[in-house]
Amino acid sequence: MIGGSVAMILNKQTIYSAFGFLIAMIGVAGMFALLENRFLALAQIMVSVGAIVVLSMLTILTINAKEESLPHEPNKYKWILLSSVLVAPFTFLLYKTLSAAHRNFAQMETITSKVVGKALFSEWVLPFEIVSILLLTAMLGAIVIARKEEIVKTEEIIKKEENV
Amino acid sequence: MTPDMFYLLVSILFSLGLIGLVSRRNLFIVYMSVELMLSSVNLLLATYSKVLGDANASAMALLMIAVVAAEAALFLAMIIHLYRAKQTIDSDRFDKLGEGRKHA
Repeated sequence: MIGGSVAMILNKQTIYSAFGFLIAMIGVAGMFALLENRFLALAQIMVSVGAIVVLSMLTILTINAKEESLPHEPNKYKWILLSSVLVAPFTFLLYKTLSAAHRNFAQMETITSKVVGKALFSEWVLPFEIVSILLLTAMLGAIVIARKEEIVKTEEIIKKEENV
Repeated sequence: MTPDMFYLLVSILFSLGLIGLVSRRNLFIVYMSVELMLSSVNLLLATYSKVLGDANASAMALLMIAVVAAEAALFLAMIIHLYRAKQTIDSDRFDKLGEGRKHA
């Protein structure tokens, strides 16, 4: 899983990074399963692996960026090394802070979808509804943003005419 | 199996996402790094759900997954739009807002 994320950061070709990302997402789902949280594991597989990774791979393949339109990053490894050194103390701090809080698992059985569903529809009803509105808005926004082809084209034509 | 292992994993994943976010210029990799950071937070919520023996954190993580999906849709639409405008996915080329400053 960590290997997948490292591969994601290091690869030059975008599609290989997408495969690394896929491995990382499946790993996260596996971690949910290890935490005996079946519902979240299933949701993670369905949403992240099934929708997000596939969607990003589709976008990558649709755009089909040529070698020259990929960013030219001559100092990539240097930058990654530098940022790793900079981020390392933060990682350590994060780990120390997190592990200071609780050190043991509570004794309880698997968190099933029944329990999660009860929590979701009793205490978390308002956030749930807000999230549904957010999803709807995001969908509309995505359609509007991705659709602007004609407007962009007319703008280009106008620019060309001005140049002539 | 202790929570410590999961805390360590969460820290490492979040930091890897941060490293990818600041050091790469490919828009797709920036996007995937953001997703990775969000997933690590999800994993932390699930860990707390187990540690505290409480399903509320799981519900929160589920809502987070929905937010991640919305973010993915918007980000990908934005990448397509940007690519159409400039035929590149290099994030350094989209510097229109900084045109007043001197180019290095």
